[in-house]
Amino acid sequence: MSSKAEMLAALKSVALPEHPMPAIEIAPRLDDLIGQYEASLKACGGTLIKDNAMEALQSQVASLVAEGKQVISRVDAVAGNREVPSDPHALKDINYAVISGQLGVAENGSIWVTEDLAGIRIAPFICENLMLVLKAEDVVANMHQALAKISLDNTGFGVFIAGPSKTADIEQALVIGAHGACTLNVYLI
Amino acid sequence: MSQAQTSAGHADKADIFCKDEARVDWHSKALWLLRQKRDRAAAAVPEWEELRTLGSEIKLHTLTHLPQYLEQFEANCQKNGIIVHWAKDGDEHNRIVHEILSQHQVKKLVKSKSMLTEECHLNPYLESKGIEVIDTDLGERIIQLNKQPPSHIVVPAIHLKKEEVGQLFHEKIGTEAGASDPTYLTRAARAHLREQFLTADAGMTGVNMGIAEEGAIVVCTNEGNADMGCNLPKLTLHSMGIDKLIPNKAAASVLLRTLARNAIGQLITTYSSFYHGPKPGGEMHIIIVDNGRSEMLQDKLLAESLKCIRCGGCMNTCPVYRRSGGYSYNYFIPGPIGIAVGSKHDDTNTIPWACTLCGSCTYVCPTKVPLHNIIAYQRRLKAEAGKLPYGKAGYMPMVGKVMSSPTLLNCAMSVARFSLRYLPGSLLKPFAGAWGKYRELPKAPASSFEAWYKKNRSK
Ligand code: SF4
Repeated sequence: MSSKAEMLAALKSVALPEHPMPAIEIAPRLDDLIGQYEASLKACGGTLIKDNAMEALQSQVASLVAEGKQVISRVDAVAGNREVPSDPHALKDINYAVISGQLGVAENGSIWVTEDLAGIRIAPFICENLMLVLKAEDVVANMHQALAKISLDNTGFGVFIAGPSKTADIEQALVIGAHGACTLNVYLI
Repeated sequence: MSQAQTSAGHADKADIFCKDEARVDWHSKALWLLRQKRDRAAAAVPEWEELRTLGSEIKLHTLTHLPQYLEQFEANCQKNGIIVHWAKDGDEHNRIVHEILSQHQVKKLVKSKSMLTEECHLNPYLESKGIEVIDTDLGERIIQLNKQPPSHIVVPAIHLKKEEVGQLFHEKIGTEAGASDPTYLTRAARAHLREQFLTADAGMTGVNMGIAEEGAIVVCTNEGNADMGCNLPKLTLHSMGIDKLIPNKAAASVLLRTLARNAIGQLITTYSSFYHGPKPGGEMHIIIVDNGRSEMLQDKLLAESLKCIRCGGCMNTCPVYRRSGGYSYNYFIPGPIGIAVGSKHDDTNTIPWACTLCGSCTYVCPTKVPLHNIIAYQRRLKAEAGKLPYGKAGYMPMVGKVMSSPTLLNCAMSVARFSLRYLPGSLLKPFAGAWGKYRELPKAPASSFEAWYKKNRSK
């Protein structure tokens, strides 16, 4: 018998009584979604830019490029100076990545970013600094709403990103910037 | 039972940890801080209790429909181009992993934290086959360099002080002598590990959730190490216990709301990644592992320990764990959940007693694992198997006899009252064993409860 058949056979009898799947009906908190989102993002260590966000992003990226920083942009209106390569290792010296998020979650400040939006899976992680663009109308209240909205069918990879990477593994001291991006700015348009 | 085994029991190992009183205080406080953060995060969610109930029910539902969901999971993974393997036990898991790695001539593997690979002893196995294994979670990397197992499932190096990490990093990765600033050390580790990510031939992770309806897995980290490890090399592997399965995305939404809040009081982990197929030109494997889980499912109470989502909340709140350290448990998962799932493997038969049965763990658990009930039950299982630890095996049957006979009990109690009143403490203390070491003996009451009750209440 294959291991699979053996394992499935062993699982045929379980001492617990059969349990139905519960209905998940939790009322979303809809007041001041943007305010909630901003507070949550801040708690995660990220920064929200909401005044003339697109212009602010464009001018910042322009000056970064002028400084010689390596910028990859997946947002049409923003011009970076590096292309998305086919080999992810080629992105090891990227300073900034500009990517659109599909939706934001007010209760925890996270943003859903997929492989197709990022161009290549490694982009939001390997860059030193991450800049995400989010439409205000795409902010939902909680994870129940968020997961109902996203589809995994058209992407091989997607990630909820909440703030810059961080760790507290040395004496519980919070350090921003572990292996992923060291800063996260969210441009709300 | 040999003395050698009993001498390494929980209380003895805790004794070693307790020698350094300042460290015990510090350890206890660090973990209590996590508990307080957890309380604040939970209190900020009005539907918290509802989420706990839902978490418990989702897990119970999946555990009682595992064959159906596992098959659905496999079929959907395959549809997404993921290669699925089944492993009855740790050995088979390790063989499968090694086979995949050797097919691809992998010399260096970068791993993100996975309690399942710890459970299977994967690292030493692969190292014996000549494969370099790099743990990439900062805490895991610290203890790997220190040649230690994790002492906590969420913060594995919680037992080490920053000066110790500084000394270790100085020796192993060349940081400045005497430097102990966490930010400096973390930056150094970032540079060191980035080099490893960029030169690894394969990446491997554990799995927080497997979603049957989607053929996808969810991996949660704060550091982004799982994603750096998996999204650079072409080959990725993911080990998943059968208990990690959930039916659909809606179920994931519930658990994603409680996991990080209950672990360290964070709203959500920085990265909650859904791997849903190999990257273009890449290869993705999932190894589904039983390793004793189906056996636990045959017992109504032990089965409930498989609801656990490994948040670590029960450890942070446990008064025994906080004061005895993760290495006193004789199992690679410490604390209440470690006792629940590891007692069977503890050959000193002592860990079910590393608990005050205060119930704090059960109270904080996001999926309502009835931890203190399971721990009490583990004691019974040990007693029934004739495996009460040294000491308890001697006096417990006597206690049972005395307690079940009113005459004997009354007689024993009046002797105790007499002794406590008239004999000196120094003579009596040794009889109180470890319990009496840091405690004063009680004052003896004037009469027995029975006599008092007869006089005052029995009308
Ligand atoms: S038993 Fe509950 S509290 Fe403990 S680690 Fe598991 S999910 Fe968390």
